[in-house]
Amino acid sequence: MLEVRNLCAGYGKRMIAHDISFTVNGGEILTFIGQNGSGKSTLLKTLAGQIPALSGEIFIDGVSLSDMNRNSFAKQVSAMLTDRPKTDMMTCRDVVETGRYPYTGTFGLLGDADKKAAAEAMRLTDTAELADCSFGEISDGQKQRVMLARAVCREPKILLLDEPTSFLDIHYKLTFLEMLDKLRHERRIAVVMSLHETELAGKISDTVLLIRNGRCTGIGKPSELLDRDTLIEHFGLSGELYDKYM
Amino acid sequence: MKKRIVFSFALLLLLIVVFTAVGISAGSADISPAEALKIIIGGGSDDTAEMILLKIRLPRTLAALMLGGALALSGYMLQTYFHNPIAGPFVLGISSGARLAVAIALIVSAKTAFGLNSAVMALAAFIGALCAMSAVLLMSSKIRSMSLLVVCGVMIGYICTAITDIIVNFADDSDIVNLHGWSVGTFSGFRSESLIVCAVIIFASLTAVFFMSKPIGAYQLGESYAVEMGVNIKAVRIAMILLSSLLSGCVAAFAGPVTFVGIAVPFLIKMLFGTAKPIVMIPACFLGGGVFCIISDIIARTVISPSELGISTVTSVLGAPVVLMIMLRKNRDNAGS
Repeated sequence: MLEVRNLCAGYGKRMIAHDISFTVNGGEILTFIGQNGSGKSTLLKTLAGQIPALSGEIFIDGVSLSDMNRNSFAKQVSAMLTDRPKTDMMTCRDVVETGRYPYTGTFGLLGDADKKAAAEAMRLTDTAELADCSFGEISDGQKQRVMLARAVCREPKILLLDEPTSFLDIHYKLTFLEMLDKLRHERRIAVVMSLHETELAGKISDTVLLIRNGRCTGIGKPSELLDRDTLIEHFGLSGELYDKYM
Repeated sequence: MKKRIVFSFALLLLLIVVFTAVGISAGSADISPAEALKIIIGGGSDDTAEMILLKIRLPRTLAALMLGGALALSGYMLQTYFHNPIAGPFVLGISSGARLAVAIALIVSAKTAFGLNSAVMALAAFIGALCAMSAVLLMSSKIRSMSLLVVCGVMIGYICTAITDIIVNFADDSDIVNLHGWSVGTFSGFRSESLIVCAVIIFASLTAVFFMSKPIGAYQLGESYAVEMGVNIKAVRIAMILLSSLLSGCVAAFAGPVTFVGIAVPFLIKMLFGTAKPIVMIPACFLGGGVFCIISDIIARTVISPSELGISTVTSVLGAPVVLMIMLRKNRDNAGS
């Protein structure tokens, strides 16, 4: 479904991620694991079309990103970024409905199918009761779920999530991952995300990709990669510190 | 939600009808709205009344309606572009840039006997507005703070105004007889030719902006989300710059400086309609700007009749408190979060 070949990503001349390759199929979750500044966000931004790839290729169902127009790309890929949208007098429903944008016509008006998809996404993410609340006035955790509903209502093939659980308490962290698990099974969505919680990443991901200083230092099943010694080395920890807290 | 929008549009249209009627009947010569209507549809008997109405009051009211709408729309686009509720053509110096270009065009035409028609004036204003806009954009790439950007815009405005003053001072009086009336801002003295040029520019721009309401809505969420939604961000940005410059340049060329309309009206309209969606805001700002300027113009020419106030004097009195309110609200919101 999503195939990335020898991707180099960065800003202008500054290359941040080097030579990354992986494949994710529908219904699978691939998680980037690495320290802050290792290049996870840059990679996700490149996959989301926010910044152009410096070299390498990205294919969705065998079609190269460079052969795709903006709208058909947007229909297939939705992203939940770390920055929040600026909303002015928008309800949570309004925010979710912006996810349907690539499907709307000249004036961006929503049809019945669009409204239904938005309502369904809000039900799935447990945000239906927030529909008429102002987006600016809800908590960070609630915003996170509304943004997930927004990403999901597009019915994308690929879902990109940059640290999706960062603002969530343990209750919503776990329910968030449960939603994600349900989504990928029901809708066969391919998910690429970055996650700081290695334990949770190990439980939900089919594949983990370890990134250090912009380079892939390992890709494979979580059970093979996320052991004590690898993590100690990957995050530059001392064994003592690891054993005390992890 | 839907009801409120329909009601608000109805209210705006009603206000336009009422104040257009007041606008064409108010003044030192008494013409009742009924009489005015008779003259307009071609049944008038009084020649003097007909003259006053068709040559003076009607063009003036139409000018206030159209140019007011253009200013409000231009302000709305600049606020959206900069994600800043106190951005506007006047505070960012764009109107002053346009005026400078028009002053230069007027003087060059007087010196060289090169005929200056309304279309050339509009073109000069557009170029001037674009130059000032480029300066603002250049600074906005270096300055992240929104209030600092506005301060820079005000400075650009002062510089352009100062240069305009210098040029006017060095020019022969006969060249600038047009400039003096126009330097305080007024909707009077519109010839039908200028009105037609304005109408063409403004309604073409309004239509173009309206057709952009979908990408503008995406742009409101912020750049990264607009890209995520498949918007060609560069094209949208350029179109917004060109159209807002065209609109504010047009006003600056024909009416001179008209302050605060571009900031106050979009805010008031947003409060009235209870939404910031472009598809509603674009036509509503246009109508609202029209109402605001017709009312301001009526006040300007009636309170100290037979003399007149500059239009900016009135729009400032009405608009500046609204701008203060916006800033206080913004401050409160920031403090709250």
